[in-house]
Amino acid sequence: MQISLILGIPALLSIGALFLGKRKIFGIVNCIGYLTVLCCAIGLFIEMILSNSAKVFRSFIYLDLLSAYFILVISVVAFAASIYSIGYIKKDIANKAISENKARFYYCLFDLFCFSMFLVPAVNNLGILWVAIEMTTLISAFLVGFYNSKESVEAAWKYIIICSVGIIFALLGTILLVYALSISGLSKSLNWSDIVPVAHLLDKNILKVAFIFILVGYGTKAGLAPMHTWLPDAHSQAVAPISALLSGVLLKTAIYAILRFGIIVIKGVGFAYFGNLMILLGMLSLAISCGFILVQKDLKRLLAYHSIEHVGIISIGFGIGGALGIGGALLHIFNHAVTKSLMFFGAGNVVNKYQTHNMHIIRGVLRAMPFTGFMLLMGAFALAGMAPFSIFISEILIICSAFLKGSYLVAFLLLGFIAIIFGAVVHHFSKILFGNAPKGMSVEKEPLSGKLAFLFLSFPICALWIALLFTNKDLTWIIQKLFQA
Amino acid sequence: MQGIILFTVLASTYLMVIAKRMPALIRGFRFQSFCLFALTLIMAFSEHRLDLYIIAVLLFVLKVSLIPHFLYRTIRRIRANENLGLFINPQLSLIWAMAFTYLSWIFAARLAVFGQAILIGVMAIAFFIILAGMFLMMSRMSALAQIIGLLVMENGLFMLASTVSGGMPFFVEIAIFFDVFMSVLIMGIFVFRINKLFTHIDVNKLSRLKG
Repeated sequence: MQISLILGIPALLSIGALFLGKRKIFGIVNCIGYLTVLCCAIGLFIEMILSNSAKVFRSFIYLDLLSAYFILVISVVAFAASIYSIGYIKKDIANKAISENKARFYYCLFDLFCFSMFLVPAVNNLGILWVAIEMTTLISAFLVGFYNSKESVEAAWKYIIICSVGIIFALLGTILLVYALSISGLSKSLNWSDIVPVAHLLDKNILKVAFIFILVGYGTKAGLAPMHTWLPDAHSQAVAPISALLSGVLLKTAIYAILRFGIIVIKGVGFAYFGNLMILLGMLSLAISCGFILVQKDLKRLLAYHSIEHVGIISIGFGIGGALGIGGALLHIFNHAVTKSLMFFGAGNVVNKYQTHNMHIIRGVLRAMPFTGFMLLMGAFALAGMAPFSIFISEILIICSAFLKGSYLVAFLLLGFIAIIFGAVVHHFSKILFGNAPKGMSVEKEPLSGKLAFLFLSFPICALWIALLFTNKDLTWIIQKLFQA
Repeated sequence: MQGIILFTVLASTYLMVIAKRMPALIRGFRFQSFCLFALTLIMAFSEHRLDLYIIAVLLFVLKVSLIPHFLYRTIRRIRANENLGLFINPQLSLIWAMAFTYLSWIFAARLAVFGQAILIGVMAIAFFIILAGMFLMMSRMSALAQIIGLLVMENGLFMLASTVSGGMPFFVEIAIFFDVFMSVLIMGIFVFRINKLFTHIDVNKLSRLKG
């Protein structure tokens, strides 16, 4: 029931965007649509936690706690982005950056993009999962190249080519999985609900090879180093609400795909193989992003490299495993999605105001735009893993699990990288936030829709997990439930 | 019969690796797709499967006629330089291709559990096509060559899927076809945009974004 609304509303809205006349009204309709989707997603999540059983509809849709969780994450960010879009698009039209018609086109693509992302965790068939992920690439390529400048078209081209090649490897892995199924004499149905019960019967060697291809393929989309090269370009050139969606949830849908295959591999080959590969790629991502964050000049690229860092932390969390590690990684997915969206919204406002991405020129954001500046300040500390905020909690869970498992090297490296990145982030953001604003820059009132989006996102960053921590039982309970799924 | 077609698939891939100009590359791709079409048709005929017939028809319509036609049209419309811009000259490319063939042979022999010679052969050629497609994408400067490289990789995957494991489930196959067609169209649109903004389609010179 909820799932048909979750998939149906974005699809309907994308058609409506083309035909509905008034842009202002449509922006609000869009928001209401995503609010409904968000309510449905929360309902679905609660239902899944309580019933804790998988649901299959006509063998096409498969829902369990894991997919309900990802749908929830996507719907939160999509709702925030839809609120923020109203003000952002209005400003772009006022600045003559885009035309009225193009704004309509923007909403249509936005809804299609959300639809394809909701499809990824909902489908049962692993082949259709591949198609859905490729669909997200194709649709968002237009949104990356939306402004049609030289830089954005270049970024879109790199994005579409690198992700398509990467995802071809994922298809190769999927085909090898079919091969493994067929030589074991099992039915060749690619339905997830059919594969899992027989996963332990599959040929181990072929499964191992298949998982490497899957990891390279979907890892490209997830932004794991060394396949991350498209990510900073695409994230820095996309429209600001889309940057938030790309970094907040698009990467997570690829992680979801890796997890689905990972569960098959864990059942077939054992946890160590999966875990070691994930930790290896995660560490590589951390190391590479760490270097680039230190020397970064471009505000949006800084945030993009940050996404690579956090995807690395997430994959390390899954690699370490155990209830704490996996629970921490899942929480981190949510926390990163929310915090990074807030930061990209903030960066979008700043770039609009200063008309540059260069962090050497941007000064005194707190003076020029107090509200955004304050939110950026909070977000920067949250992103770096400062204590009271949500990311701190999930990071500490992952580090704890590393110590408990006895993988001290991983824990120390993780702590080291996080410490360096903390320093770099505080340095960069203190430079742009404090100081005097450039001369002749007036303090303007910020649009209400932008403020609402910030407030909505800052709630889960500051309050949600702290509230849950006080009722400690709930948090561990949710983590355990997620672990069972 | 199947052996002959497999050989022609291999030969057409070699032709593409040594091609210097755009039309030759597209011709090679068309030839390769036609061979795949013949292969699927023979399989459909011998196994009497309706879904394979449909897939064969789709293959013919999309990859033998529509996509090459679209690519030819793109070349004519943008009037760009027809040279591919080779990072690696044809002779060296040929040596690379031979190395790839050998590598994929070893890989296939290891992976095939039941060692039927024809199965290993098919797998080896499929892996070779995938590698060759990737090689084309990396060693040619033209943006159109990258699209064709991607299509070649996809052909290799199709061959692997249809012969080794008897094909993906039917509607997955259809969805993948649709997806490939969409991606070619969208990449085509971006080639037009690149040509308009930069007045060339040389991806080697797309280097504004760094660090």
